Amino acid sequence: MRVALKIWRFDAQRGERALKEYEVDAPDEATLLDCLDIVKDRVDGTLAYRKSCRMMICGSCGMRMDGAAVLACKVRMYEIAEAGQIPVISAMGNLPIVKDLVVDMQPFWGKIRAVTPWLEPGYADPGEKEHVVAQKRMDVIHKESLCIMCGCCVSECNSMEADPDFLGPAALAKGMRFVGDPRDQASVERLQALSGEHGIWDCTRCYFCQERCPKGVDPRDAIAKLGAEAMREGIDSDMGAKHAKWFVTSAKTTGWLRETELVPKTQGIAKSVKDVKFAMGLVKHGKVPPPFPPHVAKHVEEARALYDLVKHDGEQGAAGIVQGEKALGRLEHHDDGGAAAARGPYGPGSFAKPYLPGEQEDAE
Amino acid sequence: MHDVVVVGAGCAGMRAAIEAFDTGADVGVVSKLHPTRSHSGAAEGGINAALGNSAEDSPEKHAFDTVKGSDYLGDQDAIEILANEAPGDIYQLEHWGCVFSRNDEGKLAQRPFGAAGSPRTVYSADITGHVLIHVLYEQTMKRAAQGPLHVYEEFFAWRLAIEGGRCVGVICWDLVNGGLKLVTGKSIVLATGGMGRIYRATTNAYACNGDGMAMALRAGLPLKDMEFMQFHPTTLYPSGVLITEGCRGEGGFLINRDGERFMARYAPNALELASRDVVSRSETTEIEGGRGVNGSVLLDLRHLGAERILTRLPGSRELAMTFAGVDPIYDPIPVRPGAHYHMGGVATDNWGATEVDGLYAAGEVACVSVHGANRLGGNSLMETITFGRRAGQAAAEHALSSSPGSISGAPLADAERDLGRLLARKEGERPWKIRDELGSSMLENFGVFRYGERMAKQLEIIAGLRERFENVVVEDKGDVFNTDLTGAIELGYMLDLAWVMVQAGIARTESRGAHSRPADFPERDDEKFLKHSITRWTDDGPELSDQEVRMTKWQPEVRSY
Ligand SMILES: Cc1cc2nc3c(=O)[nH]c(=O)nc-3n(C[C@H](O)[C@H](O)[C@H](O)COP(=O)(O)OP(=O)(O)OC[C@H]3O[C@@H](n4cnc5c(N)ncnc54)[C@H](O)[C@@H]3O)c2cc1C
Ligand code: SF4
Ligand code: SF4
Ligand code: FES
Repeated sequence: MRVALKIWRFDAQRGERALKEYEVDAPDEATLLDCLDIVKDRVDGTLAYRKSCRMMICGSCGMRMDGAAVLACKVRMYEIAEAGQIPVISAMGNLPIVKDLVVDMQPFWGKIRAVTPWLEPGYADPGEKEHVVAQKRMDVIHKESLCIMCGCCVSECNSMEADPDFLGPAALAKGMRFVGDPRDQASVERLQALSGEHGIWDCTRCYFCQERCPKGVDPRDAIAKLGAEAMREGIDSDMGAKHAKWFVTSAKTTGWLRETELVPKTQGIAKSVKDVKFAMGLVKHGKVPPPFPPHVAKHVEEARALYDLVKHDGEQGAAGIVQGEKALGRLEHHDDGGAAAARGPYGPGSFAKPYLPGEQEDAE
Repeated sequence: MHDVVVVGAGCAGMRAAIEAFDTGADVGVVSKLHPTRSHSGAAEGGINAALGNSAEDSPEKHAFDTVKGSDYLGDQDAIEILANEAPGDIYQLEHWGCVFSRNDEGKLAQRPFGAAGSPRTVYSADITGHVLIHVLYEQTMKRAAQGPLHVYEEFFAWRLAIEGGRCVGVICWDLVNGGLKLVTGKSIVLATGGMGRIYRATTNAYACNGDGMAMALRAGLPLKDMEFMQFHPTTLYPSGVLITEGCRGEGGFLINRDGERFMARYAPNALELASRDVVSRSETTEIEGGRGVNGSVLLDLRHLGAERILTRLPGSRELAMTFAGVDPIYDPIPVRPGAHYHMGGVATDNWGATEVDGLYAAGEVACVSVHGANRLGGNSLMETITFGRRAGQAAAEHALSSSPGSISGAPLADAERDLGRLLARKEGERPWKIRDELGSSMLENFGVFRYGERMAKQLEIIAGLRERFENVVVEDKGDVFNTDLTGAIELGYMLDLAWVMVQAGIARTESRGAHSRPADFPERDDEKFLKHSITRWTDDGPELSDQEVRMTKWQPEVRSY
């Protein structure tokens, strides 16, 4: 196939930036990374980018394609090239550029280091054996431990753009990886630290990190888990925490968010008086129902059921969220709907059923 | 000057650095990649230790399986050390927080792996290397926050500085800022990993070019057993990425074009879980016999069912879907043998010490040898940990009990001169074509099966490529992130090593483990070749000799599965 790319080049020594277009021949199965390799080998040896594993596990090749962060080795180019698109490739956002597609990852690692990214053991001494922990309890940090530190989430993070000191999705997910670990004895201290300034409550919940993460870490969910854990531990002096706590109460009792009550509940009466004018303005514009009597949503049972699902088995906080995720994961799979799923693994058109040599090939 | 400088930050390098630090040394770690980008992180299936959590097991059994798997070329004292110390090392990793999978009792789960007499492979779904590399990096960060441990990230080590018979440092190219820098230490530990990139079809990362082996070779050190490259039986067609042996451990079938589980004809007892060399050869025979599909055979997981695939093998499913467009829940995966692991390397003793004072090696770059002619799946991650730890300790003890070696400016000046020459060249060939031709020709002429004439031809091809390399031109002349330059240097390393490998292969006129000569020497010949090959660099190229295998309690037997 013929692949065309526009690449934002950056010459660090001269401080010059330029958009250059390249066109190369590539095998049909080529990924974006393969195409960059072809450009570098055959067209311009000065092109700089990071790579190593080419199998989505080392986290080297984060970059932007048409403004959204991707792993270059994960993007198949066939459909893009066939559609005649010429994607624009640039360095990741929210990190300083070193050269071309290479960013300085030091700020990224600095934030990882800021969350005390190692196990603080001592909760139970296993002696000369392993800790005995149920898989189910380790599942709480399953997604967080998938993180390859590629930076794609940080590249897109909304809050980080506004506040470069915000810990950001990757570091917070790393924080959750320890908070949720039953072998760690510093969870409360960690939650306290992560609840501070530039911490979990500074996330704007834009979900860009979640959308761009190539490994399914779901860092925004990790932040939600941290929030849930912080509240379970009673670390809720921060405004964001109060806001979230009220959100749960509100959704459980009425099935929706009673926004007019939310203001006084999270900010205290004195402060909310100042906002009354604003709130009344909203009422006037029909944006929120008046506070009394509480309007109960039609599907309040659903909201309650969701809450119960999360609380199921007496598990609250992060464990509950994991459980919800698992239910969704199963749905996703059954929802597949592709041709392969329709015919099933052994349906007509599938590959022959395996047999041992000499074995009678019995039908079903 | 550091006490200990570790070159490479994969599992072996970080484990060595941690142990050196804990022994009391001031440690520097040099790595051309950020540590977590190292290829150890790509390991999928697991790591072997006789914990006996799933079935009865013992270090003795682990050792025997390893000796047999090595086709009796492994050094048995080293193998016993590995088997005996593995359980303690695994518990240590677990205490550091490693996220291993658990069994129903909440203990570390263990899965069956090829050629192992008992389910002995500890794992984390199919991302075992990933959880290991991250836990080791966590522990590295912890120590760096506490004391003298510094990581020189994206420093490309180019040459060893050896003065008066003592290794005193390593000359590096600083990738981010440019410039040659000499990082000095009282002890140096090489942990630069493998060299699969010598072959076109490989599971190895772009970074795996045998840098450390080539550096050591040119510094006059002996390389051991260089003819033994393991071909993994299940690399995805066409991309070459690995589909873990764990798929077969979980019960996956290998089938040919007709759906026949052909392994029953080659290894009637072990079937799909026979040793890797056996499975790779069987596949190649099937494919060459016209019973393949597009030059591949098929790995069939369908009978495992969606639930099991989704929970136990999600990574493999993702790889198959991304790189081959196949969902293993519904369709079998096309796989073929690809270069995977290099059994040979820098010759060391059981503490990682090499022939040169102050120089140690551990991990895939080293050859202790625990793998002999064929490595068992799950043993090399264990080797990186156990022997990484031992090398780190020995290097630190050496450093703490010796005065610093004397350092002249000579090695750095030589390096500056050579680098200047390379960068000054404006006319000539760019490296990629030479690299691609090396990769394809090695696969064709020095792959799963080896034939006398083809190996002779390969030597000529390599000579031709080396000649062309003399005039290679680096297009990027800049200082910042110049991977054009490092790529050319890496190609030079591979051209040295390819020569060494083929030469050793020609001289070994027998079939043993991964070295298989079906046409002229199909049998193992213990009389003549129960010996390691040893290669040294001379002005006329590599020179071969041999060395006895260290045996403790197992005499060679016929190897069948
Ligand atoms: C896809 C795959 C799956 C595998 N699965 C398993 C498994 O399930 N079980 C098992 O036991 N084994 C497995 N293996 C083998 C095992 O992972 C490797 O042998 C082992 O991880 C090698 O570790 P290492 O520390 O020696 O090298 P690496 O992890 O490769 O690290 C090498 C380090 O050296 C650095 N380096 C290299 N050259 C230079 C230079 N010139 N200058 C500076 N730094 C340099 C790199 O940056 C890197 O940090 C697998 C291998 C592959 C390829
Ligand atoms: S959801 Fe929060 S952490 Fe994620 S990108 Fe948005 S602001 Fe950043
Ligand atoms: S959370 Fe996802 S996107 Fe962010 S660094 Fe980790 S793997 Fe990359
Ligand atoms: S090259 Fe490793 S993640 Fe893309």
